Amino acid sequence: MKTEEEQTIKKVEEIDFLPVIDGELVETSPVEIDAVDEELTIVSAKNKVIEDRRPKTEDQTKIQNSKSKILDQKIYLLLPFIFLTVTLLGGLRLSSPAGDVIFWRPALFCLISAAILMVLFFRAGLISVEGWFSEDFTALKNIANGAVLTTLFAASAQIFNALLPEQGLPFWVFAFCFFWTLWNNLFADFDVKKLLRSLGALFGLAFVVKYLILANLAAPASESWLQGIWQNTTKEAFTWLLDLPRFSAGTGYIQFFTVVFYLLGLFLFPNSSEKK
Amino acid sequence: MKEKYLQILGIFLTVVYGFFVAWLYWAEPKNLEDFSTKAKETIENTTTQGQIIIGTYEVDAAKFADGLKAFRTDNFVAARSFFENADPERRDARTQFYIAYSFYRQGFGKLYNDDELFKKGLEQINRVLTLDRNFKSDDTNLQMKTPAELKNEFEEGLRTTVEDFNPFRLTRERK
Repeated sequence: MKTEEEQTIKKVEEIDFLPVIDGELVETSPVEIDAVDEELTIVSAKNKVIEDRRPKTEDQTKIQNSKSKILDQKIYLLLPFIFLTVTLLGGLRLSSPAGDVIFWRPALFCLISAAILMVLFFRAGLISVEGWFSEDFTALKNIANGAVLTTLFAASAQIFNALLPEQGLPFWVFAFCFFWTLWNNLFADFDVKKLLRSLGALFGLAFVVKYLILANLAAPASESWLQGIWQNTTKEAFTWLLDLPRFSAGTGYIQFFTVVFYLLGLFLFPNSSEKK
Repeated sequence: MKEKYLQILGIFLTVVYGFFVAWLYWAEPKNLEDFSTKAKETIENTTTQGQIIIGTYEVDAAKFADGLKAFRTDNFVAARSFFENADPERRDARTQFYIAYSFYRQGFGKLYNDDELFKKGLEQINRVLTLDRNFKSDDTNLQMKTPAELKNEFEEGLRTTVEDFNPFRLTRERK
């Protein structure tokens, strides 16, 4: 009896010492491959990513190369072009009534806001630092990526220049609202979609207030002061009180496309310069 | 195209377009006509700056000769304009000395001197002293050969003293 009991305890102990293999069911896409070429992959941890080491067909390689080329062209040619165009158009105004071109330089506030916006892009994951700058990349790639990010910063500064009123009380009111929103966003949990939606709404509202409401409050420049008071008393009063500049209507159209280009650029901006 | 070439092209185009945008905001042309004028000015300035950096900057001899001709015929305004165009960077002591001298000759009066021109002349001669302290003109038509003499003349001319009311001053000659 004793020996039987001892044997049972021994068996139970042996079962307890059996090695436990932790793993999960991995489903692969039904690809027909030669069993000889397939490599054995052992899953040792729960979250391990299994690399598909099967040899790629010629078509797959071609598709991958063409995708990589398109991404490179987008990053190094299209995005800088979009952002530099925004930089060019952001400070462009047309004087009224002469129609002369005015290049309005960005205020210091625009640079500060652009810097905060860049931090926001990094925080929200729109831009991943490791995806744009890495020791594994060549120096040329790091410089090229730096140039792309510089154009993004310049465009961000100019978008604030485009949407902020040029001077007077409205400038400070708008600046305060922008700063308040950006500062709040800085501490909020964002994902890329939410950030883009938030920026679209912020810039859209600023555009409407500046180029529809404030622009329509400004008295026409062609009128004399006396004629203005006689015919457009309210507009003349608002122009004087709010120190509103008198620009040609074409300015609004230019700035509309500036905002659209900027948001398009952000939409196309990849998280990383490397193809996933 | 290879990734490397695409990156080089991207950097090149970004720099060129970026400089163009920066230049537009710096020069602020108002229309297309203004655009071409300012572009020409910028190219000329850049060329001159480049010449200074590589040490090949020279005064425009033809313009200098025109200035000297105008100076000798007492056409001082035109002379100054020629001298300024001959040495746009104001780096040649000889040309700058002639500009200062033109202020003296134009401002000189037997009864009284033109203080405004003398003040400008004094500023100009100080510039000559900064450029070359030991400068000495080889022009035989000039009675004052050094910046120190000319400076003294400007300072004396600007100072009001009892000597200014001496009737014999009317007999003095322009140097």
